[in-house]
Amino acid sequence: MTPNAQPAVLIVDDEDMVITSIRAFLQLETEYRITGLTSPAEAVKFLETNPVEVIVSDYLMPKLTGLQFLAKAKELQPEAARVLLTGHADKQSAIQAINDVGLFQYIEKPWDNQQLLLVIQSAIERTSLLRTLRSKIGELDEAHSNLKDVQSRLLRAFL
Amino acid sequence: MTPVSGDVASLREELEIANRKLAEAHKMASLGRLSAGIVHEINTPVGSILSNNEVILRSLGRIKISLAEALEKGAPPPAKALEILDIITGLAAVDKLACERISGVVRSLKTFARVSDHDIRKADINELVQHTLKLSGTVFRRHVNFVADLGELPPVECFPALFSQVLLNLVVNAAQAIEGEGAVTVRTRQEGGSVLVEIEDTGRGISAADREKVFRAGFTTKPIGEGTGIGLSLSREIVVENHGGTIAFDSEPGKGTTFYVRIPIEHTRTQQ
Repeated sequence: MTPNAQPAVLIVDDEDMVITSIRAFLQLETEYRITGLTSPAEAVKFLETNPVEVIVSDYLMPKLTGLQFLAKAKELQPEAARVLLTGHADKQSAIQAINDVGLFQYIEKPWDNQQLLLVIQSAIERTSLLRTLRSKIGELDEAHSNLKDVQSRLLRAFL
Repeated sequence: MTPVSGDVASLREELEIANRKLAEAHKMASLGRLSAGIVHEINTPVGSILSNNEVILRSLGRIKISLAEALEKGAPPPAKALEILDIITGLAAVDKLACERISGVVRSLKTFARVSDHDIRKADINELVQHTLKLSGTVFRRHVNFVADLGELPPVECFPALFSQVLLNLVVNAAQAIEGEGAVTVRTRQEGGSVLVEIEDTGRGISAADREKVFRAGFTTKPIGEGTGIGLSLSREIVVENHGGTIAFDSEPGKGTTFYVRIPIEHTRTQQ
């Protein structure tokens, strides 16, 4: 997320009506940039070039299941929080999702809008913290390598 | 001799009752296996309706406030209020679609869930096929393309719930035979005094070794939990014994299978 830009949320569900409903709710309650896609393959392409803070995905979709899609999303944008929104009430798929794709949250359909909003808000916070952490680690690495450089120059100066 | 024939008659009656119970149990098991798909199919539109209802109520509240403020100032209706109105009009349209989806699934479910439908009546076989495809689609439509190629048919005298069970068995079997993506096509047509229903799949096919066994009770190649092994034997019994029809199939391993079910338009047998 560029400074001052609103957080980006990607919703992937093969049911257009779900995207319409969640988009309308988020539009009313937040200023987030919302992208809704019905094809997981298109969503993978989208993630290749567009950083997002949260990905909300359905479980049962054609060609690519929600778990397969979220695994690809994890490779492309590891910090983006992954949320599975599913009507497929199957404990096994929830456990698999948490273990395999490092899921942030698992929400069942029919969903509760307030719960969904809370999950998205905490997911954005987590992603933003992770990205800040990564940038700080980068800065530390750079400072460390600068220090090593100074140290080696000092050593060379004295020896 | 009379007592013996009396015993035979009573045994026959017991057997018929047992068969009916078996058919009923199998029907409920078939529906049970589809239940996860049906739940998903209903939960998705229900989720949308609930969410939309909340958004519409909140939006109406906001519109009311902003219109009241505009009215007080003598200003025109704010642009944001008109924008929100557009959004909620769209949501109302989604709600209509969502309700139609749920009611379609429930209608199809009712065809199968009828507990007692032991009377012969005239039924629209094409309608039974469409209900079968709708229910099967709840589970398989993400990787199986269901095609209905339905010819013009007269009303057919049959046991609709039992015949629906045959259709469901054959269509679910066809979809389960497909690994990856494929298609199940159901064709209907009238052939003289009979109707023919063809169920064709692009699945793995039936091996030569299994062909003779497919109608045998207890035979299944499906994993535990996916099949009872009585679906096809029961289907044959329903088609042949209850309807005086025939059931046959062609299969090519690796290419697919087609089942042919023929039943007379006018029922000629009296059992059931």
